[in-house]
Amino acid sequence: MLEIHCPYCGEPRSEEEFSYAGEAHIRRPQDPAKLDDRAWGDYLHFRSNPRGAHRELWFHAAGCRRYLNVLRDTASYHISQTHRVGESPEDV
Amino acid sequence: MPDATTLRGPRRQACLSLRAKPNPSLPAAVATALGVELPTTPCTHHRAGERGLYWLGPDEWLATAPAGAEDALQAALRSALTGHFAVTDVSGAWRSFNLAGPRAIEVLRKSSPCDFHPRAFAPGRCVQTVFAKATALIAGNADGDFDVITRTSYADYLRRWLEVAALEHPASP
Repeated sequence: MLEIHCPYCGEPRSEEEFSYAGEAHIRRPQDPAKLDDRAWGDYLHFRSNPRGAHRELWFHAAGCRRYLNVLRDTASYHISQTHRVGESPEDV
Repeated sequence: MPDATTLRGPRRQACLSLRAKPNPSLPAAVATALGVELPTTPCTHHRAGERGLYWLGPDEWLATAPAGAEDALQAALRSALTGHFAVTDVSGAWRSFNLAGPRAIEVLRKSSPCDFHPRAFAPGRCVQTVFAKATALIAGNADGDFDVITRTSYADYLRRWLEVAALEHPASP
């Protein structure tokens, strides 16, 4: 089980309270109607899936019900930082 | 049995959801309307007599009072608050339990991954967490007892869970 520091509650909480919400910082295209099918498909379905540092979104579902950004290593599961949505992460 | 764990509830209370962006005038306005100080520290709650005010998120609080007070409190909040806010009567959504006794903490420990040791869970603290496969808001009160506030639909189930969880504790030293 992971312990995830919730930046809103200000303390570490058990992973049980959270749900995973996918890769973070994916921008919705400004004008979807102008995209071709490949570009729209890339936006909708394709994710980076790295081995190593991964910026991801988690939801504190059983707690304060806020989304937070998490920087997690997908190989070691080590979470090096969490921050509020809208705050910029330190560079990986 | 002096060390028995006592369980009361599920009890219906007046519950109001308050959503508002924190601003300098908010604490005073809420305190005027409810008579309870607004908790601005995450995971804390304040009480004043029968009323409680719980921090749920950076812009969200739950106000509780004895059943029947919801309309008056809602009107008081609406007239005291200014700017962009939402006050909603959610009394029907919540039921509350009270767990008291020296071993109440053992009952909580069986039910949730949170740390309920007095060192980590001082009176005035409240956490929303997973609780017995449901979710609940658990608050530590000044006299050492705990309030467990849960969704109405979980109330019957949690009552049974808490009864069973407390079975082994009443008589033991």
